[in-house]
Amino acid sequence: MSVNFAIVFPYWRVLLGGLMLTVAFTLGCAIAGSIGGFVLSLLRISTNRWIKSAAAFYVEIFRGTPLLIQLFWMFFCLPVLFRISIPPALSVLLSLTMYMIAITSETFRGALKSIASEQHDACIALGLTPRVKVLYVIFPQGLLRAAPPLLSNVVSLFKESALISSVGIADLMLVGQNISTNTARPVEFLSAVGAIYFLVAFPLTRLVGVVETRMLRRYTY
Amino acid sequence: MNYHFDFSFLDGKVGALLGGLKITLELTLVSNLLGLTFGFLLCLTTLNRRAIVRWPARMFIEFFRCTPALLQIVWFFYCIPMMFDFFIGPIALGIIALGLNLTAFNAEAYRAGVQAVPKEHLDACVALGLRPWQRTFYVVLPQALRSATPILMTNGIGALQQSALVAVVAVGDLMYVGNRLATDAYRPLETYTLIAVIYFALSVPVAQLVRLIERKQDFATER
Repeated sequence: MSVNFAIVFPYWRVLLGGLMLTVAFTLGCAIAGSIGGFVLSLLRISTNRWIKSAAAFYVEIFRGTPLLIQLFWMFFCLPVLFRISIPPALSVLLSLTMYMIAITSETFRGALKSIASEQHDACIALGLTPRVKVLYVIFPQGLLRAAPPLLSNVVSLFKESALISSVGIADLMLVGQNISTNTARPVEFLSAVGAIYFLVAFPLTRLVGVVETRMLRRYTY
Repeated sequence: MNYHFDFSFLDGKVGALLGGLKITLELTLVSNLLGLTFGFLLCLTTLNRRAIVRWPARMFIEFFRCTPALLQIVWFFYCIPMMFDFFIGPIALGIIALGLNLTAFNAEAYRAGVQAVPKEHLDACVALGLRPWQRTFYVVLPQALRSATPILMTNGIGALQQSALVAVVAVGDLMYVGNRLATDAYRPLETYTLIAVIYFALSVPVAQLVRLIERKQDFATER
């Protein structure tokens, strides 16, 4: 068969629209998920046994089941369960965010564990209240140490967000698939979509390495 | 929340679910075998001295790591038969797509393991006059395998979860059967919950095992 990539270019505007949607969903869920993940990681080191195991259970559920099922569950089951109608975009946002919370909480947990116990002792010695300790001592260091893995979490969320195409959100994946079936040119269009994903994700993965070597060496003790 | 759970529609559908589960397990196990073997070979290739050998391997890894798994699967299903004019059955294609994806991720896991071997050990090999192949097989490989095991296992569970994606291209795995049941009986809540529980029950024991191994390793390296 003949492969002709020139036929991709007339569709650049549509593909760009799909990419924008993918990026928007990724960023929104990454930010919300990171904040939620930090809170969840604090709950996981709570002294209350019930809170601790509930948080651990949450993480296990979202890491132990395929994201595709989570998406379908939110999409099909929440409306049935609560007898309300949820717009598709909202159910997708919700499920990606909840997934991201579980993933980033693990990242933060690793980062918080690496903060030496002497610092916790110092906070007690200085008479800092728990709120001050978390906000001014734990959070900045945790965020710094978690920065590289958080960034790679965002990259994987960017890739995983392709799944939202299966519930009909017109992201890059769905747009690409639609064009490829309508034009009967899967090789060109699916490869082009792959190239677009690659062009966004690859520089970001390099950035993870840079952040790791530069920032961490300079700012962590 | 006054939904009435009703699982009675599952009567006579258990066989279909088990069939789907079998395909899911098949996809997971075979792609793991592929990923573990070729991942190691690929890792050795990326550590080759010659850039011309190293570069294609790196590109392979980066390509599979930087594009969505769903796209890879869809690409394999539409483009391989079209480009090369042959068709080898959906399950085999699914296994190849998942297996190659896992190969790329496992190669990175192996590489991290190899690079975690302390430099002093390599110096010691020189001092002891070990040959390069002896160094690779008796010193580097055992240590690398040991530190890569948790990541390899985590990637293995990842393959189980990603195998659900083949449902999108109509391979009859657990997810696909679940989808069919949910729409046929109009019982999405029961079906998707059940399917989720099955995936969960498959992956949690492995995840616990990973945690156990990690704890042991932390203990071993602390000494």
